[in-house]
Amino acid sequence: MRQRRIWEKIVPLALSIPASIVVLTFLVVVVVVGLRGIGVLSWEMVATSIYHGGIAEAVVGTLYLLVGAAIMAAVVGIATAVYLVEYAPGGRLSRIVTQALNNLAGVPTIIFGLFGAIFFCRILGLGVSLLSGWLILTCMMLPIVVRGSQEALRMVPKSFRDAAQALGASKWRTIRDVVLPTAAPGLATSVILGVSRVAGETAAILFVCSPVLAPLPKSPLEPTVALATYIWLVLMTQPDPERALALASAACLVLLVVVMLLNTVAYAIRVYYRRRWGRIGV
Amino acid sequence: MEYKMETQNLNVWYGDNHVLKDVDLKILENQVTALIGPSGCGKSTLLMTLNRLIELIDGARVEGRVLLDGEDIYNHDVDVTDIRRRVGMVFQKPNPLPKSIYENVAYGPRIHGVRDKKKLDRIVKKSLQAVGLWDEVHDRLNDSAFNLSVGQQQRLCIARALAVKPEVLLMDEPCSALDPTTTRRIEEVIRALKTTITVVIVTHNMHQAMRVSDYTAFLYMGRIAEYGETEQVFENPKNPLTRDYINGRFG
Repeated sequence: MRQRRIWEKIVPLALSIPASIVVLTFLVVVVVVGLRGIGVLSWEMVATSIYHGGIAEAVVGTLYLLVGAAIMAAVVGIATAVYLVEYAPGGRLSRIVTQALNNLAGVPTIIFGLFGAIFFCRILGLGVSLLSGWLILTCMMLPIVVRGSQEALRMVPKSFRDAAQALGASKWRTIRDVVLPTAAPGLATSVILGVSRVAGETAAILFVCSPVLAPLPKSPLEPTVALATYIWLVLMTQPDPERALALASAACLVLLVVVMLLNTVAYAIRVYYRRRWGRIGV
Repeated sequence: MEYKMETQNLNVWYGDNHVLKDVDLKILENQVTALIGPSGCGKSTLLMTLNRLIELIDGARVEGRVLLDGEDIYNHDVDVTDIRRRVGMVFQKPNPLPKSIYENVAYGPRIHGVRDKKKLDRIVKKSLQAVGLWDEVHDRLNDSAFNLSVGQQQRLCIARALAVKPEVLLMDEPCSALDPTTTRRIEEVIRALKTTITVVIVTHNMHQAMRVSDYTAFLYMGRIAEYGETEQVFENPKNPLTRDYINGRFG
């Protein structure tokens, strides 16, 4: 009896240690990168060209990459999810697609990089470019976007569909007017989570978007530098190691802020819709 | 009197489960027909065959004919959208759409091509008035429908169904989630509707069936065990099963 009471106290205590390590890890990452980054980061640096000791092209390049990839992945991913959930649930094709997505999610990023360099850049002739980067990031985002969107669509209560169809709405009309708007916060969240997953992607886009420093692209067919690839490049090529670390830390901090901002937006969308419509399972 | 709807030799299966057997039901125009019977006897299924909502259920198979004004609604050349406009449905649990009060009522007319804002305003007002909701909500039509009480939501759902000017209104235990006062209000609505449309109501509440309906069909194990004028079915049932059910010996 007495022994059991002691265990009741020890177990939660013991389990709280790993739990705090999780929090601590996050804080240490933020603090270490943050402190180093904040020391060197300034608006001036963000606005200065990578050729003159700044990170401007990398910041804008990252935004170009992420916005483009987000649009592509949203269109393809949500369409796929709608097809799987609404039109082919439990079918053979649905199983094949789901399995393919699972496999896609497990592919190491360097393999995506190599595949992209061969397929998009060479075979499709898109070259080392922003467009090739969009395509490769879309491939990497799809498993997350499709799975998240499937969940969001499945959460839409059957009673909503019944209501619309009982009024005479066709299946597509029901999806367009009722299912998609209801699932919208969940769909948006899944896209944003996909974006934040690839925001720091390096190996996959290094040889697809630009293996060297490059000016801002004027069209999707030109090379582009992203924050992640810039970090890699500056660490590899900057002769002064202190300077290299400082620049890399500054770029890291910006990247960290971008990712955290994305996650906050995803969270805010959910909260906003909950407030507006109450808890209806989205 | 005219038959508004009629089922002929209607059989329904869910997979191997034979849930409706040779059902011949006649629904008289501008009358309220109640469907009663123990749980699982096929009342709701029968209701869903009357506007083809049954087709949304996986594995459901329908055989036989369902006539609306003498025309089989399962014919290949019949437009299901049109059938569902003419035969509306109110569900057991209030199911407003995640839209404003106004948009909930306007959605049906929009589906059927009404775009004119003034016309929509008129339809919304008239439909809400028909269920006695207009005075309660006219100053907050753009609020979420979820902010209404459950009883108001159910009346909103009836208004939504009425907005497309159906000829028949199907109601699947519309009061089972509601308190007695709200139930009474909805029963008043049903009685008022009768002058213009035909109502088919599934109910578990015998008193409700007596209060609102003109004709009653008693379903038992997928078959119609008794059908007749409500008064006759309740006071002088021909089938001993009906008497037992009405007196609460099973169900």
